[in-house]
Amino acid sequence: MKLVRAVWLMISVLLLLYGVPILRQIFADTKPAVQLNADRAAPRQVDEGVQQAIARDYAAAWQTLEAAVNANQPAALNEYFVGLALDKLTGRIRDQQSLGLRTRIIDRGHKVDALFYSVDGSAMELRDTASIETQILEGNTVIHSDNAQVQYYVVMTGAEDHWKVRVLESIPTKAD
Amino acid sequence: MRKVSFLALIIATLPVLVQAADLRVPLSSAAGQPMTVGITGTGDGVLYLIGPAHIIKRSVRLDRETSVVIKGEELRTSGRWIAVLRSGDSSQTQVFWVTPAKPENLSFLARPSRVPVDRRGVISGMAFVFDAYQNFVLQPAPVAFSLSVGGSSASQTVTSRNGVAWVSSSSARKAGPAQFVATLGETSVRRVVQQVASDPCNLRIHVVQQGKSGVVVETDPVRDCTGNPVPDGTIVTFTQTDSAGRSTVDARIRKGIARAELPTAGDAQIAVAAGVVLGNELHVGGRK
Repeated sequence: MKLVRAVWLMISVLLLLYGVPILRQIFADTKPAVQLNADRAAPRQVDEGVQQAIARDYAAAWQTLEAAVNANQPAALNEYFVGLALDKLTGRIRDQQSLGLRTRIIDRGHKVDALFYSVDGSAMELRDTASIETQILEGNTVIHSDNAQVQYYVVMTGAEDHWKVRVLESIPTKAD
Repeated sequence: MRKVSFLALIIATLPVLVQAADLRVPLSSAAGQPMTVGITGTGDGVLYLIGPAHIIKRSVRLDRETSVVIKGEELRTSGRWIAVLRSGDSSQTQVFWVTPAKPENLSFLARPSRVPVDRRGVISGMAFVFDAYQNFVLQPAPVAFSLSVGGSSASQTVTSRNGVAWVSSSSARKAGPAQFVATLGETSVRRVVQQVASDPCNLRIHVVQQGKSGVVVETDPVRDCTGNPVPDGTIVTFTQTDSAGRSTVDARIRKGIARAELPTAGDAQIAVAAGVVLGNELHVGGRK
């Protein structure tokens, strides 16, 4: 009986030691939830394949952004950001690096409306209501934390084999 | 009783002794405009203003009422900012917004770069509106689009919606480089759309030379339906059918004309085509 208890205790300890970091890793690799509504996109309708590609690539862009601002690695942004959005985020990360700050974003999902889809199918404008928790860290100390719904206007353009974020502009919601 | 009084005194004076710094930031400022941050407290502190594209850091001396002036050139990026005042181990924070300045810049995309003449709605132009600091401006702004080629031009003014203005235009009847210009206030952005001849029209061939070894045929000058010469290099296919079977020659247009030499023996029929366009047929070696 004692042996069984000891084994269970050992298993519990091992799970705590190794299971939690593994679970954290699994969740860290999960893309944020993106719910896209393209019913009102104009002047061109967005077909199903493009909707899936936009939702997939926008989620991947946020996943990349969250990793980049947390680890202060601007190079990671190149895969899903281009133009002004890339320049601005790179500037922010460089400043974070030099000041010993970093940002942890806990992403609780994005409700996205497609507003504009160009006639030639090369550009799309989105309005995203993002539920995110933002933590600013100085070293390992959290110096700011807030939980908010933030509205973003986003322009994505078609790149080699996927869509990239070209503009990412946050604006106050009515609650702000 | 004394202990209780002493404890009450400590509790009453505690807020004064550990008075936390107070941070006051305007909830909204305009990009490029100076902003004053009010701080109350004692001792030394650090003020961070964390914006979408950069971070401002100031060391501050907290002498009761302190004002920190942020220059307009430091506050260029619009969006959600976070002000953090660090004083000892404590932090005071506040979220504030910077709004874009007035619309001044355009990012203009014109598609395609090369287009056949006289096609409806084939040229599209979209302009994204920004302020002087490259912030995306959502307020409506009038954007004028003009498309001109060879002295003729068409223009249209469109009010941007959610930062985007777009037009769709037909290509002109005349080939050449079309100037596609988007204008916002004093700012104009120009793109060139090369308008090229469309498919050949009225493709006709005639015999130039006929001998024992064969026949030389060539086209009349190859033009599209609006009279533009079809570009050199376009392939014209000559097909000869005779008793020996069928033979094909692909020839490129040179100086507006395509020419081919075909080995005929006896009666033959020669046809011509360019892309999906068929031309006339000739009979050689017998009845014409």
